[in-house]
Amino acid sequence: MKYFQFGRLEKRIVVFFVGLLMLVQLAGFLAISYVIEENARRNLREELNVGAKVFKRLLDQKEQQLVSATIVLTRDFPFRDAVATRDGGTIVDVLKNHGDRISANRLALVDMTNIVAADTIQPDLIGKKFGFPDLIEQAAAKKNVSAIRIIDGTIYQLVIVPVMAPAPIAWVVIGFVIDDATASDLKGITGLDVSFLGTAGSQPPSVLATTLTADIRANLQAQSVGLLATAGKSASVVLGREEFEILATTIDRYPTGFGNGSVFAVLQRSVNEGLQPYEMLKLALLLLGVASLLITLIGSIRIARRITRPVRQLALAAREVAAGNYGEPIILEQDDEIGELATAFNNMSIGLTERDQVRDILGKVASPEIAEQLLKQKIELGGEERDVTVMFTDIRNFTALCENHPPAVAIGLLNRYLTLINTIVDAHAGVIDKYTGDGVMALFGAPIGRADDPERAVLAALAINLRMRQLASELLQEGLPNPDVGIGVNSSRVVAGNIGSPSRLNYTVLGDGVNLASRLESLTKRYGVPIIVGEATAAQASKLVYLELDKVRVVGRATPVRIYQPMGKPEQLDEVRRDLVARHHRALALFRARSWNAAEDIFRTLRPISGYTSIADVYLCYLADFTLTEPGENWDGVFTLSDK
Amino acid sequence: MEIKHRLAKNYTMRALRSARMGLAAMIVATPSIAAQISIQVTEPGGVAVAEAVVYASVISGTALAKPKREVSIEQVNKEFIPLISVMQTGTSVNFPNRDKVRHHVYSFSPAKTFEIKLYSGVPGKPIVFDKPGEVVLGCNIHDGMIAYVLVVDTPIFAKTDKRGAAVLDGLSAGEYEIHVWYPGMPASALPAPRKLKLSATDAPAITFAFNAKTQNPAGPKPSQGK
Repeated sequence: MKYFQFGRLEKRIVVFFVGLLMLVQLAGFLAISYVIEENARRNLREELNVGAKVFKRLLDQKEQQLVSATIVLTRDFPFRDAVATRDGGTIVDVLKNHGDRISANRLALVDMTNIVAADTIQPDLIGKKFGFPDLIEQAAAKKNVSAIRIIDGTIYQLVIVPVMAPAPIAWVVIGFVIDDATASDLKGITGLDVSFLGTAGSQPPSVLATTLTADIRANLQAQSVGLLATAGKSASVVLGREEFEILATTIDRYPTGFGNGSVFAVLQRSVNEGLQPYEMLKLALLLLGVASLLITLIGSIRIARRITRPVRQLALAAREVAAGNYGEPIILEQDDEIGELATAFNNMSIGLTERDQVRDILGKVASPEIAEQLLKQKIELGGEERDVTVMFTDIRNFTALCENHPPAVAIGLLNRYLTLINTIVDAHAGVIDKYTGDGVMALFGAPIGRADDPERAVLAALAINLRMRQLASELLQEGLPNPDVGIGVNSSRVVAGNIGSPSRLNYTVLGDGVNLASRLESLTKRYGVPIIVGEATAAQASKLVYLELDKVRVVGRATPVRIYQPMGKPEQLDEVRRDLVARHHRALALFRARSWNAAEDIFRTLRPISGYTSIADVYLCYLADFTLTEPGENWDGVFTLSDK
Repeated sequence: MEIKHRLAKNYTMRALRSARMGLAAMIVATPSIAAQISIQVTEPGGVAVAEAVVYASVISGTALAKPKREVSIEQVNKEFIPLISVMQTGTSVNFPNRDKVRHHVYSFSPAKTFEIKLYSGVPGKPIVFDKPGEVVLGCNIHDGMIAYVLVVDTPIFAKTDKRGAAVLDGLSAGEYEIHVWYPGMPASALPAPRKLKLSATDAPAITFAFNAKTQNPAGPKPSQGK
């Protein structure tokens, strides 16, 4: 079924070739048919003319033979003897007897005064003038004569010779009937249908002997007047339903005797019969035409398929490629242009695959957004200032972990961590900037900035911490080490862009705030908390609950910064935590207001709470220091940190 | 034409013979006082017609009786000689065959029908031509052979010579009808007979003119086989 479904191009190719062939063949067929028909008709006419000559020659020969036979007959001594008796009965008998010897149909004896002395058919003519005195005159002049005449509706070949004794004493008239059998004989030799027509008086000519069938004979009879008018020339005539080439010739016209009369011969050849061999030729041509049409049809379909099928295949493949599916290469066992196209297409596909792979890898090694950015924009060195929240994560003691485990396990573990972090960063619309060993640097707000970048960054940090704790319990069950994670988050104005050399560069962000984020990550160890966010971040992601850890001046930075531990969304906090945050902030306020003892009481009270111990220790440590040397009058509650 | 040609060809021989015979007749017959008719036969243009038969039938008076004779019609070189004969009724005719081949002489003419089957030499019995009329002779094995015999009921007959002249002589006074006859021609094509009254010493000359060329279509066949 599919074989008969055509594409447009295919249909066009097939229709064109088949149509062209049909047109050419039709034209050829018509031309050949015309030539054949013309030729056939000319041949027919030629045959007819040759046949007519043969026919005349045959009539002459027959006449000669009959004359000779008749002369021999009349020279027979007993015949002459019998004729000389002038006894009617004897004469008729000898006429019949001798006539039979030469198969004559009718004999008559005419005396020298043109009176019929005997007639084998019509005895009533005896004593009357002989019907064709013109023939007797001719016989007298030529010693014998032969003519084709009509007597009583029958055509005879009449032969008239004198009875010599040895001077002529009478005329013997011998008649040979020309009937259908005679016509048939003539047809056998000439190959033409032969008809003898005769008129007597003013009667229309009638067909007296013929080889034609009754039907055609009747038609010939009906058209005889018109036909005989063109005697001597061949003509195309339709008799009944058949077409004939016809040649009518006048055999004799005579003014006297049994009424003035004429005898004609009509020779004809059936056009259909004549064209029969040519019809076979036409049929052969037709068959040849049909065969070549079929071959062309099949051939053109195949050729069209050879073009369109691979084209369709290529189109389909191209669509797949456009959709990003690089399947198997197209294999066409054609070493023509289509084959070349397929090869080119495959090469293109491979090229695209490679590029896509590059893009994919780029997406993996950079991050999809950065890769996108890189691909979209003209890659050039330099950058722009943006507000970006940067997050640094670090797995604590990963190096020590590596030492105690095989590299494969260590790498596997690392990848689990990194995958986890990556997933969460992605989920919060962050971008991984780079991996630094076991650490991750993620950006929120570059390359594309959004209003809630700080909040998402903090939520991501919380989520990482949560997932890390879950992972830690999983790892514990697996008997694997479960190191903690430290996360630093800070928001600031940074320079974002491609940094490196023209041949090798990175998209990244640079700035003081970035360094601070890294410092904050490091500070998590000091305060024993998983996450520390900077002042700017906490201010911008103000919907969350924070626990202010400290106010510090980090290394390399003159400006002090408040640092916070995010506690989560307000609704997610339980009573204990909320209470903790409130009491801590009260303690911190007392601390900063130099109410050392009150502050110490609270810190000591809160110290046993899980996750707070390290913070309490930091402040108890501060208080211990202050008991030794109280801070100056202008102490602003800032601690300067000396190490990273 | 043919007949004239043939006549001319054989003329010399026959002329010699008839001269001889004429001479004999003149010697035998008494050159007495008798009437004679000189006849000239010509074609309308004046050309002489030789070998035409002229004869006179007696209407009143007595004809000078000519003795009945035996005549011969010979066959020489497959030809009848003479070609044309005229004779009185009752004349016996011999048909001596001078050729080495046989002949089969026949006549189907009503005046005398006979047949002498293949023979050589002289047949034993002569044929008596006992009825007046034209007798055409032929040979059954030589279609070209033909001879004409006119049998008349009168002893007064002659044939024209080369110049178309003939003389009927030995006529006594009386009334005669003069006929001319030419072989193969129907009576209608021949001049009508002339009636003449003669005294014993008359010697009139008469002329017949007819077209011997325009013969009856059934005229004699040309001689063949010479």
